[in-house]
Amino acid sequence: MKTTQCLAAGVLAALGAFAAPLAVAQDVPTLLKAADKYRMSSENMQVDTLISVFNTDGSPDKERRYTVFAQAKHQSLVLMQSPAEKGQKVLMLGDDFWLLMPSSQRPLRITPMQKLLGDASTGDIATLSWAEDYSGTVAGEEGCGEPAQKCLRLSLAANRKGVTYQRIELWIGKAKSEPIKADLYVQSDKLAKQARFVMDKPSAPTAVTEMLLRDQLTNKKETQVRYVSRREKTVPEAWLNPMFLARNPALD
Amino acid sequence: MPPALFRRAAWLAAALALAGAVHAAEPEFSGQLRPQWLEQRANQRGPLAAADALQPGTAPLPASGAIGEAELRASAHVAGVGLAGVATLQSQRFAGSATQSRAWFNELYVSGDAAGWQFSAGKKIVAWDVGYGFRPNDFVEQEVRRTLLSVTPEGRPVLTAEHFDASTAWTFVLVNPNKRHDDRGADEPALAARVYRRDGALDWHGFARWGVRTGASAGAAVAWVAGESLELHASARYLVRADTLAIDPAAGGGLVATNPWQPASVSHTGQALVGGTWTNEQQLSLLVEAWWDGTALGDSQWNAWNARGAHLGTLAGLAPPQAVAGNLAWQASAFGASSNLRRTNLFARLSWQYDKWQPAIDVLYAPADAGRIVTASLGWQGDRVRIDAGARLYGGPSSAVLAQVPTRRVVYVAGTWTF
Repeated sequence: MKTTQCLAAGVLAALGAFAAPLAVAQDVPTLLKAADKYRMSSENMQVDTLISVFNTDGSPDKERRYTVFAQAKHQSLVLMQSPAEKGQKVLMLGDDFWLLMPSSQRPLRITPMQKLLGDASTGDIATLSWAEDYSGTVAGEEGCGEPAQKCLRLSLAANRKGVTYQRIELWIGKAKSEPIKADLYVQSDKLAKQARFVMDKPSAPTAVTEMLLRDQLTNKKETQVRYVSRREKTVPEAWLNPMFLARNPALD
Repeated sequence: MPPALFRRAAWLAAALALAGAVHAAEPEFSGQLRPQWLEQRANQRGPLAAADALQPGTAPLPASGAIGEAELRASAHVAGVGLAGVATLQSQRFAGSATQSRAWFNELYVSGDAAGWQFSAGKKIVAWDVGYGFRPNDFVEQEVRRTLLSVTPEGRPVLTAEHFDASTAWTFVLVNPNKRHDDRGADEPALAARVYRRDGALDWHGFARWGVRTGASAGAAVAWVAGESLELHASARYLVRADTLAIDPAAGGGLVATNPWQPASVSHTGQALVGGTWTNEQQLSLLVEAWWDGTALGDSQWNAWNARGAHLGTLAGLAPPQAVAGNLAWQASAFGASSNLRRTNLFARLSWQYDKWQPAIDVLYAPADAGRIVTASLGWQGDRVRIDAGARLYGGPSSAVLAQVPTRRVVYVAGTWTF
């Protein structure tokens, strides 16, 4: 499987090379790994996230808090912390997903489409890595961001079905590879969301502090994803067993 | 609040506070308040309606009223031992009845781990199986399905031992160890076990139970994510014996002096369910399920029930009305024979998640007699407040069992404030 993915990535990269000569000089996986470091500095992390949704007139619509255990090999456990969702959990193991509602204490298998819920899908919150999930080409070099800077535009395709967005157009800073903005496309190739990334120090960025998502599929609302805290954390293997969702372990 | 309830509520609060406030890492408290109004219309068909028409007041009929409920949750961990509790305080007042208040623990248990195993003891919700409308293998919790509102069920007294690795889980449960051996249904003391195995897009479950009175049963279930939008599931269970109700054959069609519907058991039967959920990008979701429940009364039993009801009706004017009305009211006992009224059931639910709104409509249909339950609902979810409203209608031809249940229509509205 891994060989197939590498082969596919290689074929895509080769195709991209014919389409855009710039790609020859750019190593997309390396660029993506560099861009990922701004959101996920380690392979296994605990990230506390605050989601604020705003109406089209800028008025606040709703707020949600999540604790995300983002682990290696496409594994994420999302704990909902807001009063409206307290006790809900979503487990994402590669292309497979489970949901636990606190009233039932029964882990429920869900489809990739069912995880695309709400203004910030669990995919937006739990997926912090592009390098593992996407491959593609450098489509070009153009100005982007505020203030404007030289950016590389990457055209990315998902390596697997289970990711929330099957295609991403990603702009990263040419000098430091920090993510600037992205167009996110769902399975049907419809533009679902447009993302902008806010860095901690624009002149010398070290981490993404916010991701701003503008819904293009339904309600045009803007969602602010704030990374409140990040720390390295490897969870026990049992936590990533779907049936373990019904348990209530100490989170330290 | 009555003094006894006040004492119990204070005890619940103290226990929850203990669960959350002991010197522990990150004790957590949360809860919700839910006022609710139910507008219920009694059925004009069926045995209770006939009994009431003949002798008003023979049996209580569904009435409208209000329910106020507070649910409190607390959890904490102390030196590797987890403490968790969920308590509910409820007060309700229905037309023609006095205010009734009660308080109970939904869950209150301790948990910990040793030698790679996880252990729990106390009152706990242990919910198993796949499926929405019916779960054949949910034989520990035996949760009531298709409730109007999402409610936290009341857990069972259990001792559990569980082992998890990356893709397999083993669970062993001693349920109702404090109950009497002749307790029935979900109260029966039993040993239960589940093994779970994750295999890519497939979830496999194996189940076994041994009840002190009903003996062995075993089952299996599978859930399969067949594509981006489609999930399919199936569950089946074989039971050596199951609790049910049956009419005393000696009752025949005539009047009797005591309720002829008595506890009984059904032997060597099964339960099975198949279903699937389809969801699209716009979060429109269609759930379809079909199930068969061998513990429910069979067609011949319901035919006999209908015939007895019709015959009792002809006795009006020929026998004392209290006796005829009482016998008609006892006919309603049959509705409690099993969690499903008819053995074969079809269920469909169409729901949509649009921003904060969640409209849904579902239909439960019994092919044997064309009886049906139609439920429509609308939910709105804010940051802390949730509003739910809806209606449920029971119907079908006059001979259909679902058309003869005590309630004809329920309309409800509820507000939930979470903290």
